[in-house]
Parts: sequence; C-alpha cells; structure tokens
Amino acid sequence: MRIVGIDLGSRFVKTLVMEDYKIVERICISTVSFYKEYCSFNGRLKVDFKKLGIDSFDFGVSTGYGRNNVDIENFNIINELKAHAYGAMYQTGLKDFILLDVGGQDVKIIKVEKGVLTDIELNDKCAASCGRYIENMAKILETSIDEIFSYYKNPVELNSTCAVFSESELIGKIAEGVPFENLCAGVNYSLYKRLKPLLTRFKGKSLLISGGVAENKALLEYLKSDYDEINVLNDSKFNGAIGCCYFGILKYKK
Amino acid sequence: MKKIGITTTVPVEVLYAAGYSVVDLNNIFITSKDYLRYIEIAERDGFPKSLCAWIKGIYGACIENGIDEVVGVIEGDCSNTKSLIEVLKSKGVKIYPFSYPAKHTIEEVKKSIDDFIKLFFKDELVDSNIKEKIEDTRQTLSKGRVLARRIDELTCDFKATGLENHIYQISLSDFNGDIEGYTEILKEKVKEIELRKPKTKKIKLAYIGVPPMTPDIYDFIEKYDAQIVYNEVQREFAFPRFDRAKDIYEQYYDYTYPYSLEFRLKEIEKIIKERNIDGVIHYTQAFCYRAIDDIVIKRKLNIPVLNIEGDKLNCLDGRTKIRIEAFLDMLMDLKGD
Repeated sequence: MRIVGIDLGSRFVKTLVMEDYKIVERICISTVSFYKEYCSFNGRLKVDFKKLGIDSFDFGVSTGYGRNNVDIENFNIINELKAHAYGAMYQTGLKDFILLDVGGQDVKIIKVEKGVLTDIELNDKCAASCGRYIENMAKILETSIDEIFSYYKNPVELNSTCAVFSESELIGKIAEGVPFENLCAGVNYSLYKRLKPLLTRFKGKSLLISGGVAENKALLEYLKSDYDEINVLNDSKFNGAIGCCYFGILKYKK
Repeated sequence: MKKIGITTTVPVEVLYAAGYSVVDLNNIFITSKDYLRYIEIAERDGFPKSLCAWIKGIYGACIENGIDEVVGVIEGDCSNTKSLIEVLKSKGVKIYPFSYPAKHTIEEVKKSIDDFIKLFFKDELVDSNIKEKIEDTRQTLSKGRVLARRIDELTCDFKATGLENHIYQISLSDFNGDIEGYTEILKEKVKEIELRKPKTKKIKLAYIGVPPMTPDIYDFIEKYDAQIVYNEVQREFAFPRFDRAKDIYEQYYDYTYPYSLEFRLKEIEKIIKERNIDGVIHYTQAFCYRAIDDIVIKRKLNIPVLNIEGDKLNCLDGRTKIRIEAFLDMLMDLKGD
C-alpha cells in the first residue's frame, strides 16, 4: 500500500510517500515551481507525478490552508490542522500534546487530547511572525537564514508590529553600529515576541515544534523560558505531509 | 398568584405549595431579545466587567421585570450569588436564602429543606399537613417530569433534537410559572416528537456543565453528522430519578448539580456508558470557578473532552465553531466509516 501526502504550503510544497507505514520518499519544491512545472489546471489541479519521480500509488491525501488551491485531482482533502495533528501523532506516538507550527506565512498552534483536536490558534491579518519575515530580514542583513537562526544572545530591541517597518528599524540599528550577532538575535527575538501572545492559551510542560521555522535555534532558546521541554519533530518540515499519509493509512485500512 | 424569582433550581415544590408562581430568572434573561440590555443594566449599577454574564443577566432581569421576591441559592451554586442577593436586598427585593448543604447526607438535605419550608409556612415545625401539601405538589409536578424524561429518551432515539432536549428539561426549573399549562405543552410536544422519523447521526455527544449562553450550539452540531444526546445539568434540573425518591428530601439528595464533582461524574460516566457517547463538550462560563473542574473531568473521563467557554454573546463565535468542527472531524475519524 503506497500513500502519497501533499502539503501545499505558501513557500514550499512538501510531497511524501509512505509504503506500509514507512516513509520512503520526501520531495520539497518551492510552491511557485511546483505549480508552474509540475501541474496543469483544468478546473482541478492535475499533478504530473511521473515528473515528480513518483510512479504509482494507491491513495492520495492533500492539505493546504485554504489560502492555496488544494483541489488535486483524485486526492482527498483534509484540513491543515488535522494534517498536523496526525503528523505529530505519527512522529511521536503521543496522543496528548501542544504543537507549534511556524511556516512561511502561517502560524498554527494546536492542542490534541486523547487523540482529538481540542484547541487551535492561527495568525490572522498579519504574517510577521513567520518564515517570510526572517527571509526579508536576511536580505537586509545580506546573510543566510541559517546564519540568522544561530544567534540568540543580547538581542537588539526591534519594536515594530509591521514587518516592513521592522526592516527600516533594522537598517537604523545597522547605522548605529550594533554588532551583527545582536542584530540577528534581535530579528529572532522580535519573531518570538509576535508568537508569544498566540501561545498564551497553550500553557503546558512541553511543546512540539514543526514547520520550517523549527530550524530556528534561537527561537527554541527563547521558548525554553516558557516550557520545560521543547521537542522539535524529526521531520518538522514534512509534518503536514506526514499527517496526510497517516490519515490516508487510517482511511485506506477501513 | 404572586411571582417569586429563583436564581437556580431550588425545591420548587415548596414554592408552588406555598401558592407562588415561580420564575427562573436565568430563563427570562436568556430568552429575552433584550438579554444584552440586562447585562448592561447590571454593569451600569456597578457589576464588574470580569464577572459571569449569568449573574449580571439575572440581576437585570429581576430589576427590569419588577420581581420583588427572590430565592437566592447561597450554597451549592456559586459564591457570586451571595453578593448578587446582597445587592438585590439593598434594592428592596425580599430575599429567601436557600442552601444545598456542603455535607451531602440525607439528614443535612432534610435540615436545609425544612429551614426553607419554614420561611414560607411560618411554623416552628414542619408538620404532617405541610408535608402532605408539599408531597401532593411533588406528585402534581411528576406528570411534567415523566414527559420531560420521555423527551430525553426520544433524544437518544434521534427523534428529539439536542435543542429540544435542552429547552424542555431546563424549563422544569420553574415549569414556566404554570404547572398545568407547561405540562400540557410537554404532552403535545411528546406526541409530536414520537411521530417523527429518527434522524440518526454518527456521533453522539454529551454536553456537560452549566447550560449554555449560546443555544445555537445544538443546531450548529447537527449540521454535521453529530448530535448532543445528553445534557447533564438540564437533565438534573428535570429530576429524571424523581420517582425513585420516596419524598422531597430524597429527591433533592439524589440531585447531582450542587454537590461534589465526584458525585456528578458518577452519573455522567453512567450515562456516557448507557448512551454510547463518543465525545464530551464541557461548557464553562467565562470567569466561573467551574472552569477548574475541567482538569479533573478530562482526567476522569476516558473519551475525548472539548472545553468551550461562553461569555456575553448568545451565539457561538467563529473560533469556537472552528474548534467544534475540528473536534467532530477527528471524532468521525476515530469512529471510522
């Protein structure tokens, strides 16, 4: 039994193949490239799986947060919150957890109890607490995202709510001669400050992290002050796609 | 008939036997088009913003509707009521206190109810004549209780809706101020429901906790393949086990709502098992101490529990709808096709 799970994110499309409950294939393609080079559209999205390197499969499940077209031909659509809940269940074996997923434009916090979703929080109106913000700030600092992720000590204060104003604020700090490390830490800390209010209703001992921003070591350091344990999922970027496959397995079995 | 307001379910048999028409202030408040104005009246009179909307609504309903006699439950419901009746007293409302005893024994319940009876029958002793009068009233009310119980059964058969289950049981707290009239309404309703074809749903839910500020929750859930088939507190207000009690004392001893969470959970667990319930919605009111109960409830019940909170609005907000939707979605997965 081969199951394909596709998570159509705002920055990347993650495709995953599971065979007999094991992950056998992971493909991550930028969202724009995926639509332009691997898809055709005739009322529904038709994916060229051969081109993707996937031969045959028994069942397909896709997700995407409604802001993106997720209507792939012959695929079952599930909502993204559920996909992430199943992904974390598959990866950890836990039935009770809080998961923070920070993607390119979306922040999702979900609470699962006894294997059922019981609470959620999503960013709305603004995505300055997501990956795209870090990307923009990396451009200003003329460095890589990974470089920014590695600094967390002595963050410079960046107070703007708006991601665009934050850029001018950062330029102002560069002009003041603030060291590069503190600038990077400041970017990470400002992201954390935007995430913190979303987490207020999700107090607990431990927190699971997924999404591209899970690679942000600095953010994890800041979160350690709010939780006893921070656990980054192994396949953090692919969690949504894993959830699709896991849901597919459950569905296909029946 | 003189009207008397109540702040929650009390031994209503005593009040009807004493010649009153009973008005549950909660029901006047929540069924009014002006429900927000009642809250506004309370806040203008100094009730804090960070206080349970039910208390403010009860206050507004009492003041606006010229209710000048009220039974206030000072033990076994919530401490906010204690202060509420102080304010009502200062406004000239005549207050009759009633306490569900902290110690849950038949002797203590008897003592509380006897003290309550003495307030209305002005006797030093509760003699056999008074007891007989109250027992006769209890028997008169029993016709309505049997019918409400029937509606509860019909909900399990998917003939009655979750909202009907809620309304027709909760209304027995005061019998809508008219025992005979309301019993007739129940009789007609039962007849009508019995003739319906069942609308079977895949997911059976229990609703536990105080009645909702948001009655639209029932219809919202039924838009999916799910239905609330058990309303914990509303069912207690209707006293479904009344005929197991030999008198009023036993009936109010066997009432779960005002006593310990452990005692409430025994009945909840029994019904969950009997009715094959798949999930629980635990409703709590903003600023209510009962939100703390959720810790124990989630630990004790072995099926998924969703805790939702209501505040001032009488309809579900978007976030709560999404949460209910996601909860139902995953319950469906657990249940399989």
